[in-house]
Amino acid sequence: MVMLVLTAVNKRFGEFTLRNVSLTIREGEYFMILGPTGAGKTILLETIAGIHMPDSGTITLSGLDITRLPPEQRGISIVYQDVMLFPHLTVFENIAFGLKEQRLSVGEIAERVSAMADLMGISSLLERLPQTLSGGEQQRAAMARALVMCPRFLLLDEPMSALDAASRMRLRQELKRIHRNTGTTMIHITHYFEDLFPLADRLAVMQDGAIVQTGTPEEIFNHPKSDFVAHFTGMENIFRGRAVRRDDEVEIDLGPIVLHAVTPFEGDVIAGIRADELILSPGPFDSTARNTFRGTVSEIQANGAFSRVVVDVGIPLCGIITRQSLFRLGLAPGQEITVIFKASAVHVFPA
Amino acid sequence: MRTGHLSTLQTGFSAIALALLVFIIVVLAGMILYPPTGALVQSLHSAEILFAIMLSLVTSVISTCLCALVAIPVAYSLARGTFPGKRAATILLNIPLALPPLVAGVALLIFFGPSSIGQFLEAVGVSVVFTPLGIIVALFFVNVPYLIRVLRSTFEDINPRFEHVARTLGCSEWRAFRRVTLPLARHGLGAGLVITWSKCIGEFGAVLILAGATRMKTETLPIALFLNMSTGEIELAIAAAIILIGISLASLLILEYFSSDSCFF
Repeated sequence: MVMLVLTAVNKRFGEFTLRNVSLTIREGEYFMILGPTGAGKTILLETIAGIHMPDSGTITLSGLDITRLPPEQRGISIVYQDVMLFPHLTVFENIAFGLKEQRLSVGEIAERVSAMADLMGISSLLERLPQTLSGGEQQRAAMARALVMCPRFLLLDEPMSALDAASRMRLRQELKRIHRNTGTTMIHITHYFEDLFPLADRLAVMQDGAIVQTGTPEEIFNHPKSDFVAHFTGMENIFRGRAVRRDDEVEIDLGPIVLHAVTPFEGDVIAGIRADELILSPGPFDSTARNTFRGTVSEIQANGAFSRVVVDVGIPLCGIITRQSLFRLGLAPGQEITVIFKASAVHVFPA
Repeated sequence: MRTGHLSTLQTGFSAIALALLVFIIVVLAGMILYPPTGALVQSLHSAEILFAIMLSLVTSVISTCLCALVAIPVAYSLARGTFPGKRAATILLNIPLALPPLVAGVALLIFFGPSSIGQFLEAVGVSVVFTPLGIIVALFFVNVPYLIRVLRSTFEDINPRFEHVARTLGCSEWRAFRRVTLPLARHGLGAGLVITWSKCIGEFGAVLILAGATRMKTETLPIALFLNMSTGEIELAIAAAIILIGISLASLLILEYFSSDSCFF
């Protein structure tokens, strides 16, 4: 199996640093890298592409050491956030750019460019200059320019950030389709966690140039290894379920319990609830909130000013309360308690 | 009080601009109209002026090409490279810019004349001092730092990610430079070359010292103007001046064309 393996890669570049990055990315995988601005995500992609040589560490591709291999020999394409279409060339010439470098015949180039333009739905734009295209069209042209090379790996640097919400949703579906149809291994940087569940097979969370956690989206959201990951993802409670519309709201069947939510999505979904949106009450509690569950406290982690309290209501729900509340309620493991949250606190993503 | 839509301040400043414009036109027109027209036309056709035009064109074009050959790689490495001593190199490269051309000329004269390097070059038959070759050398020395400066900022304005993308699409470093960076630099390059050429045409001090002012040998247009003024041949001097004005105007027009963002090549 083809695998891209980074081992203890270090790189200083201007104000950015990669610290001891070790990663394994499998062939055909959709791999995402999540992290705040300045975490070194773009430098990581550029190092994988061969634009920067690591100061130390190795990169191997199917067992072959490619650490010092120049980018043009790696078969790894990159699509930048700011698309970087060559402004002096038409869309056709942009897509044909890499094929021309391979000295293919004019006929073959034209054929492959038009096939790729069809796939990306930009056939009518081939004679235009990039500056005259909309953001979404530019994004697709840049994607076509990268994909026409049939790369082993496609690196995407925040491809959604220049787009509005509707275009983002479209591009997400398109990326999923491209990944399915071409089987290209994708490495995709993002800071939108809506991207994660529909797309990512696995992801890595980056902080200050280091990989702090790697795993499937559920592993990372449900079991954040550090405060940083928990805070950055912000979703301590993540569950898979089936959403069914009932009148104005949606019921999500998680198996042991059914959540009430407000969402346009139906069918297989991921439901996420932020820990700080849970209300805990020792006695019965009457409110307008649509989700009320009775359960037992299974775990309390006192942690500075805030404490994490896990309540088993059939599934484990994690809440965050202040130290004062913890003492006032006198919570202890094994205690019966009510957990309450609004339907709007349930964040739903298509699975 | 307002005159039309202009404020008093604007009116005052516009008046100064208008006065300046009139002054420039009157000064130049006065010079052109000073000699009798017949004598001026005859001077423009004289062997001496035709020689000066040819010599100026040939030396300035060769020097501009040499400047480009050197300035493109140097400017690119200053814009993109990270090497020790980059700051020092930048400052040193700017020295000829700040130097009065006469001083550059004296330094070049000593280097190519009495110094051992000059003696050696002379011995192998490369004679720079008081020759047309000296004109080319002087023009190159005075103008190459200027072109480096212009091109450096041109290259700095080009996002290096264009080259990164080209590399991942199969280009070697050289091919990425050739297919992406150079075409993207075409406006800056075109403007830089026109300015360099026009500065070469007008250069006087450094050429005077290194190449001398020998009639019909190292007589460029500015030298022709100087020689004929000193010998009282006003018509010939003015003929040279008119051609220099024409060349300045032409290069201004070409520059205007570049800055209007239309594609040139």
